Amino acid sequence: MPTLILLFPLLSFITIGLFGRRLGDFTSGLINAVAGILSFIAALITMLNLKAPEDIILYKFLPVSHTSIDIGIYVDRLSISTTLTVTFVASVIFVYAIGYMRYLFGNWTFKFFAYFSLFLFSMLLILLGDSLILMFFGWEGVGLASYLLIGYFHEEKFATKASLEAFVMNRIGDWSFILGIIYTFWLFGTLSLPKLFENASYIPGITLATLLLFGGAVGKSGQLPLHTWLPNAMAGPTPVSALLHAATMVAAGVYMVARLYPLFSLSHTTLSYITITGVITMVFAALVATVHDDIKKIIAFSTMSQLAIMFTALGMGFPTAAMFHLTTHAFFKALLFLAAGAVITGLHHHTQNIFEMGGLKKYMPITFGAFMIGALALSGFPPFAGYFSKDAIVSSIMDKSSLVATMILFTSMLTAYYITREAFVVFLGQGHYHEEPHEVESIMTLPMLILSFLSLVGGFLLWSYFTYMNSPIEPPSSFIIHSIYGIIVAVVGISLSYLLYVKKIIDPNTLYELFKPIHSFVKSQFYTEYIYHNIFAKGYLAISRLVYKIVDRILIDGFVNGVASATSNYGKPVSKLQNGKLNYYALYMLYGVVCVFLLLILVIFEGGIPNG
Amino acid sequence: MIESLVAKFLVQNVEQYFVLAFVLLGIGLFGMMVRKNLITILMSLELALNSVNIAFVGIDKMNSLIDGQIFALFTIALAAAEAAVGLGIIISLFRLRKAENVNEIIDLKG
Repeated sequence: MPTLILLFPLLSFITIGLFGRRLGDFTSGLINAVAGILSFIAALITMLNLKAPEDIILYKFLPVSHTSIDIGIYVDRLSISTTLTVTFVASVIFVYAIGYMRYLFGNWTFKFFAYFSLFLFSMLLILLGDSLILMFFGWEGVGLASYLLIGYFHEEKFATKASLEAFVMNRIGDWSFILGIIYTFWLFGTLSLPKLFENASYIPGITLATLLLFGGAVGKSGQLPLHTWLPNAMAGPTPVSALLHAATMVAAGVYMVARLYPLFSLSHTTLSYITITGVITMVFAALVATVHDDIKKIIAFSTMSQLAIMFTALGMGFPTAAMFHLTTHAFFKALLFLAAGAVITGLHHHTQNIFEMGGLKKYMPITFGAFMIGALALSGFPPFAGYFSKDAIVSSIMDKSSLVATMILFTSMLTAYYITREAFVVFLGQGHYHEEPHEVESIMTLPMLILSFLSLVGGFLLWSYFTYMNSPIEPPSSFIIHSIYGIIVAVVGISLSYLLYVKKIIDPNTLYELFKPIHSFVKSQFYTEYIYHNIFAKGYLAISRLVYKIVDRILIDGFVNGVASATSNYGKPVSKLQNGKLNYYALYMLYGVVCVFLLLILVIFEGGIPNG
Repeated sequence: MIESLVAKFLVQNVEQYFVLAFVLLGIGLFGMMVRKNLITILMSLELALNSVNIAFVGIDKMNSLIDGQIFALFTIALAAAEAAVGLGIIISLFRLRKAENVNEIIDLKG
């Protein structure tokens, strides 16, 4: 049964990829969605039947000295619960994608669904793979699928650039990840997850190994300093963003750290690095999100920020809280992206700038409701899902380090501010449109309604999830008392954006004029993109040019051209001898004959030829 | 009378054959090098070829053999064939290029 979870998306990918053109775009989308749902059902059945962690070896692969690296599936409570979330959210997005991509049907859209299946398959490989090597296969597969999907509008320059950037940034992380895998193999002599967990004990060098592995997570989850690809990945169609940010790609990094937590928890240095990365990234991303005006980019930065909160929780030693936040985050982040996609569809794909929208509430009531639920869940407003998951993290960390907890609360306030700001600007107020916006069709609203429901009630699963994972959690009564700070900052953030963008007590434009330098500084992501571009990209180009000029042009070309010109320079005088005149040729022959005879005479005089 | 004298002279002075052969070869080579007319060059070539025949015969006389004379006969036969082919080439070249001067036929110049 666990094999089936992986099999459905793979089959769907192969079917659509090979026969998509014959099947048609709508059928392809349908196959894709059905495969996702079947995979979800298989995961559900597996979860219900699961007694103890299982390692199902499918194939003996790569025999290495006295051990072997096998292809197999490792099912335990962590992997199956994450698989359940991922397949569920992915299926919902797959259904939505049929509606969203309808305006492109007839343009080989089946490719899109094939990539979607590949994406889900790769992600499931990360989740269910029983060895690090299999996880790495999935890791690369996710990278490939994201590259293809981000660059789906490959006729646009910015999309191809964004997909390339995602690929390159991920490559840096992957490089670190594979070094980590090699080093882990060197330390433990195995890559199989169950064996690693058995053998997990402190070994000198584990800090480096886990840090290298964490480097992979940094790349995949878009943390500082490998974050620039994440906002630019918004160049893809909106269902891609939803899939990328909710269920698949970015969750892989967090999941990997949680999966290998028995190793990570052995090194305090690594854990503190994870915490530091998380804290810096969450504040950074939240600040950047407050000033952006692209409907999708704001949500993208919020993903970065929320993932950083998960990493902080992992770094502080609360993997279960982090994984629960990952689950609820998948619900409401997917919801926000689906609603944003609905807004874009409703506006006939004309604009993505929130300040060119406004007053969409009366045109798109369902989308408005869905977006508000998503926004409130993200803000951590009770009783929405985000409230429970985030405050579980905050209240756990509060006892360990109040500074980190304060930073999370500060981030939450910014989160509440920027996401409701987006909601208010897009849906309230007035907007002027050349073309009347319209509510989207039911194939798109239904997924939003499902996710809205889960964002609304998903948080109540907190206690059952912690019990399922055998992790301690405080009872509801003390939880509410502990979470009072979380509620306060959410209310502060929401009211701030309400006062600024709905009541307009201060005109946002005057504020903008006032803080223009800071605004543009923050909006440029603290010049990180600019710095990368100028130092790394241009520096690389400068070094390449230098090498080109010295090594290539002077050394290599010099040698090759030197040989050629020497040959031709020495050949020229010799070629004068061949002047085409018969008389001279006869003369040369005479010279030749004379030379031969002279030689013969010399040899004879020397007595070289024996008698006879 | 005179014939027997000549024969006696030749038998006694075998080196004269070689002198004649070298003179003829020198004239032939010189002609090949300085003359521009293709037919003249061919004629010089024949001269050089026949000098070899004389050398063959001279060696025969010196050593009282007949092998050299047989070779000379072969050479004459070959020279006839070679002259026919060479003339044929020269004539077709002349028809093609309207030129007999070798300085005008220098297409293979380097």
